[in-house]
Amino acid sequence: LGGVARDLFGVYASIVLPMVLAAGVLATRMATQPDEATLIRAAQRGDAEAFETLVRTYDQNVLRIAMNLLRSPEDARDIYQEAFLRVYKNLHTFRFDCSFHTWLYRIVTNICLDHLRKRKVRREESTVIDTPEGPLDRIDHFAQEGPGGDPERHTWNRQLQEKIGSALEDLSPRERMVFELRHYQGLRLRNIGEMLGTSEEAAKNCLFRATQKMRSVLGEFV
Amino acid sequence: MKCEDIVHAIPLYLYGEVTPVVEELVEDHIAGCAACAQEFTLQKAVHAALDTREMTVPAGLLQECRGDLTRKIARVPEHQRAGHHSGVGDWLRDLLHHGIPMRVPVSAMALIAIGYFAARLTGPVHSDVPGSLTTTNAGLENAGFSSSIRSIESQPSGSVRIALDETHRREVTGRLDDEKIVRLLLAAASEENNAGIRVESVGMLKECAQSSPVRAALLDRVLHDPNAGVRWKALEGLKAFAGETAVRKTLAQVLLHDDNPGVRIETIEVLESHRDDAMVGILQDVFQKEDNHYVRTRVQNALQEMHATLGTF
Repeated sequence: LGGVARDLFGVYASIVLPMVLAAGVLATRMATQPDEATLIRAAQRGDAEAFETLVRTYDQNVLRIAMNLLRSPEDARDIYQEAFLRVYKNLHTFRFDCSFHTWLYRIVTNICLDHLRKRKVRREESTVIDTPEGPLDRIDHFAQEGPGGDPERHTWNRQLQEKIGSALEDLSPRERMVFELRHYQGLRLRNIGEMLGTSEEAAKNCLFRATQKMRSVLGEFV
Repeated sequence: MKCEDIVHAIPLYLYGEVTPVVEELVEDHIAGCAACAQEFTLQKAVHAALDTREMTVPAGLLQECRGDLTRKIARVPEHQRAGHHSGVGDWLRDLLHHGIPMRVPVSAMALIAIGYFAARLTGPVHSDVPGSLTTTNAGLENAGFSSSIRSIESQPSGSVRIALDETHRREVTGRLDDEKIVRLLLAAASEENNAGIRVESVGMLKECAQSSPVRAALLDRVLHDPNAGVRWKALEGLKAFAGETAVRKTLAQVLLHDDNPGVRIETIEVLESHRDDAMVGILQDVFQKEDNHYVRTRVQNALQEMHATLGTF
């Protein structure tokens, strides 16, 4: 009987106890961390700390989207400021009829699309500079800088990046946006459609056109 | 499914955006069709190549953006601030703001009418209770004066006794060489509840960092301020004094302990503006412990330019 009791205690100590502890930790965390709806409501009432927490939840992704799309830290910085100031001024209009994530990304994608359209009109390539070795994307150069590395691989990478860069430039702003959100941000086409105020089917067609353009430019290179 | 349909389905298949039925059809077809299998391999390679294009956000940019946002929000006019919007007022503001073509003349007429009726209908209002407040509620909320109600008690006489905490706002204008202005800025630099005010005040104090109390405040902020934007501003102010022992000692601590890579990079830049061999050991130490690739690269460059080895032996 003593052995059975010891076994039962062993089972309790090794399985049940950690589960109880984990549940306790989780419950404490849930109790101390306000959920998003609570944060939004607090921010709507003017709670600066709640607003800051909301910003910090999403701002890395927002900055990444802006960097990927516009390939310029200056433009990315402008988009960040414009997006979150717009969120700050319009948060009172958020009525919880979609997720905050979707609402925020709707704002961000609209601003990015405006920038991309203006850039298309101006035919601006703010990050590309002429060098004695040909055009160079400063951003790629920055991203790839680092000690060591195979020179041949580096040249091939550079050519690949140039090809991808030119393929991306050929996309329409909307195709560019759908492609960015699906390929780099990993969002589902249904969400992308919702963010861009269109249907999943339209987003699907947009992604298809984008991938076809990429394929025609990169197909012979890869 | 025909080959043409398969070729169309491949990109969406690669993104996992097809139904399980289509997924199976694509896989079955590719298994038995060499041309489509070749197209699939090619599209998969393009898909993978595109992954290499993903950007990394430059170190420090996020922190800069957060600092800028804090400053910009601090400058948002009161009526546009979060928490200021409410029901009917909000609706009316939106209505006026969004495209009523006559909004300017209508608003002007409304203001004239309000002014007229306000002058007719209001005047000094006196309470019947001796010794009580003689201003209206509107009087408590005028510019430069704010109050909060501490307690409310009903009196046996049927009147109400209200206790208020009052704060008077005062505006002070002056130049940065005015000692009083600097004193106020120093107080603002440690205003713990408002990071925006701290950023603004430290941004101004860095213009007069030749004064020792200001420099001491900047050193304190760079070490202890919880907001990276404030620490960043304080670092900028210390750049011209990078040769001073106290400053270098503090910067070494920042480099070893600050949790923000942007601040650490800025610290390296400040230290680089006045090189000395005493920093080599600290930089070597940082190089061994640093997790952030970009910060490590900056430290490495700094050490190489000082003709120092990366490690200690």
